[in-house]
Amino acid sequence: MAARRRVAITGLGLVTPVGNDVASTWKALLAGKSGGAPISLFDASGFPVRIASEVKGFDAVAAIGDKKLLKLANRSHGFALSAAEQALTDAGIRPTTANGERWGCAVGTGMMGVDFAELTAVHQHSAATGELDATRLLDDASANNPLVFCRSQSTTGVSLLTRRYGIRGYATSVHTACASGGQAIGTGLKLIRRGAVDRVLAGGFDSMISPVGIAGFCLLSALSADNDTPERASRPFDITRNGFLLGEGAGFLVLEEWEAARRRGAHVYAELAGDGNSLSSYRITDSPPDGDGPIQSMRQALSDAGATVADVDYINAHGTSTFMNDKSESAAIHVVFGERTKNVAVSSTKSSMGHLIAGAGAVEVAVCALAIRHGELPVNANLREPDPECDLNLVRESARRPVRVAISNSFGFGGSNSCVALRRPQDVDGTGFAA
Amino acid sequence: MNKPRIVITGTGAVCAAGKQTQQILDAVCAGRSSIGPIRQWDTSGWPTSVAGEIADLNPREMVEDRKLHKLIRRTDLFGLYAAARAIDAAGLVASREALAPDAAAQYSDRTGVYVGSGGGNYDSQYDYFPLMTEANDSLPAFGRELSNTVNPMWLLRTLPNNVLGHIGIRHGFKGSNACITNHSIGGTLAVIEAMEALRNGEADRAIAVGHDAPIEPQMVLYYGDVGLLATDAIRPFDRRRDGSLFGEGGAALALETEASAAARGAKIVGEVLGGGSASDAQGLLAIRDDGDALARAIALALEDAGLRPDEVGMIAAHGNGTQQSDASEAAAIRRIFGANGKAPPTTAFKWAFGHLIAAAGILEAVLALRSLQERIVPGIATFESLDPACEGVPVSRQSQQPRSDVVLVLCRGFAGTNAALLLRAAM
Repeated sequence: MAARRRVAITGLGLVTPVGNDVASTWKALLAGKSGGAPISLFDASGFPVRIASEVKGFDAVAAIGDKKLLKLANRSHGFALSAAEQALTDAGIRPTTANGERWGCAVGTGMMGVDFAELTAVHQHSAATGELDATRLLDDASANNPLVFCRSQSTTGVSLLTRRYGIRGYATSVHTACASGGQAIGTGLKLIRRGAVDRVLAGGFDSMISPVGIAGFCLLSALSADNDTPERASRPFDITRNGFLLGEGAGFLVLEEWEAARRRGAHVYAELAGDGNSLSSYRITDSPPDGDGPIQSMRQALSDAGATVADVDYINAHGTSTFMNDKSESAAIHVVFGERTKNVAVSSTKSSMGHLIAGAGAVEVAVCALAIRHGELPVNANLREPDPECDLNLVRESARRPVRVAISNSFGFGGSNSCVALRRPQDVDGTGFAA
Repeated sequence: MNKPRIVITGTGAVCAAGKQTQQILDAVCAGRSSIGPIRQWDTSGWPTSVAGEIADLNPREMVEDRKLHKLIRRTDLFGLYAAARAIDAAGLVASREALAPDAAAQYSDRTGVYVGSGGGNYDSQYDYFPLMTEANDSLPAFGRELSNTVNPMWLLRTLPNNVLGHIGIRHGFKGSNACITNHSIGGTLAVIEAMEALRNGEADRAIAVGHDAPIEPQMVLYYGDVGLLATDAIRPFDRRRDGSLFGEGGAALALETEASAAARGAKIVGEVLGGGSASDAQGLLAIRDDGDALARAIALALEDAGLRPDEVGMIAAHGNGTQQSDASEAAAIRRIFGANGKAPPTTAFKWAFGHLIAAAGILEAVLALRSLQERIVPGIATFESLDPACEGVPVSRQSQQPRSDVVLVLCRGFAGTNAALLLRAAM
């Protein structure tokens, strides 16, 4: 059997609540800086939760430079376009007319929907009584606006990215709630391995910081209501944790077949070495307390990467800061890593960024690539009193430390668990990151 | 390198034409269309007022567990129903029950779930209208009254991956999985990704399912506004075609490795031979006139399956009935099979029950498989005369004979995405 194709990560792009590019985000994650603040995107004064982790000072037009395209984009698509542009620029390669059909695109995308202003317009025109009057929709300007239609489809993101860059191979959107981004990266890995394409623009994006988005999570009591201390609201693995902090943003990676990347002299952050995914099949909103489900996804990712627990130096935890997730994830890490648990550094960078939902997994895989590249670990911010039930080697201060293998966990509502494993490039072919 | 064989051991389907695969195919073969007036709201004055609605929908018949109905939406009913039918037909759960506890746990961990889902709808956001009225468009009041007015389970009911999660919980499957929200090719990609996961050893068996329920006012309005909807019927490749119409429902295939099927003594109804997908990259709605990405998807599927075009015995075309999609689909078929009637007998199914969007490709795969088993390429009852722009596509009002036991199923979606799937029927 021919050797399996390896996959290199050669470009990164980030738009997060703690920085609108890779460098500023990485600096903030090392410092444990929080993106949490009172919600500024709408008047949240009546909501039980009035805080979130918003992307700040983002200028889509300046970042993208294509006003026409942006008419077809909502807030989250703007983040996606910017992160993708950064990643392609960083990789120093773009699809061409000649090779566009050998490029793929895999994105973790949020739930489809219209912006709240547009929802309000439809409400005022066609549903003032509270019930939709379908007849009134017929002459409702917002309900007939093709731009609103184009911005609100589940494939809007993938359509904008493939169009902008001429990506003509396999293009797909996936959604497994909070695991979406991780699953998109895993999809990209498989597409290159099986030869469907040679390069993939892979990532995730989301923005649910809107009245409807915040409402949905408030109704489930999933969010921290620490309205007076937003910067401390997200504290994964702390005994006082009380829910997650809703974030927004995007992360994109350029994935390339390993040999092709090396031949062109690309700088390689890491090998995208393994993917694992499982279903907890327990409850829609929780993982089981014993870690069943995440255990399998971590084991699969390591086995797929040809790595053992002894090779792993860093775990970027899902670590949402909800009571159940952090407990279940800790249990799973203990089962998988056994005695080695105390020697594996763990941090949830949601402690800084908040939870980017469909974007989270992709952003966090990029964070793992940066940890390998820089030999430095981002911190688990806001940890004052670790929960004894989450007895992990949590990163309290950023530390320089070589990372041979890093894994990124993402677990979604619905029970999908994704684990992605990355390996230091010099351990693959003796060559490090060549800038 | 020989790829492992991936076999099909069960199917399930539901749409306006019926709640079983055979019943749906019988309606198609009898030339019976299930397109009719939309009943979910008053469509008087609407430019398009027909669709393939499941008229006598009884949620309890779809999913018996009444408690679950509070947590899911109409679209999810169809996915869970179709999946359960395929799982039953294949005996996937029954086989596990015969195993010792350790082996049963292993069996569950090695059973995957791959879903193509519509990705959400407009009506779910419209659930907030009563609250918005109560709040008189004041956001602070909206926030304060939230928990008194809106169903606390709102977000969970809205999850695009509900079918994936609930198949797992209901049937105890815990293996590799994906929820693909890639518009109309989602269901087809679910089959392709399940096949690849089995080939790659990520699972031993998997359920692939697609489901959608696009018949809601805002969807009908938007699709109509951008010129995609027909006035009364879908007429694929016909001179008079004027658009597509929505349908709703779901379909599922139980797939496994040959070894898994042999170990269970499962009856094999067919085989997934290969798949391919490619994009036009022209934007959300635009498609290339030359059908380039569809042609490339077909070529990739043939290469994946190790087949020549002349080994394909039947084509189940996308045939959605819009001017541009059908003409460019014909261009792609000509590019692969040649211009002069060399393409195998071709049919399209959407005329009979509408366009199921995320479930379209997988439902048509299920029906194509059953058609081949009956050695028939069903006719298209709404077809009268071939549009010259669609030359080279051998469609007919009458049924035709397949040339072999292999069918090519074509599927196209927004964002210029295209997928092709090759199946072999066990005869």
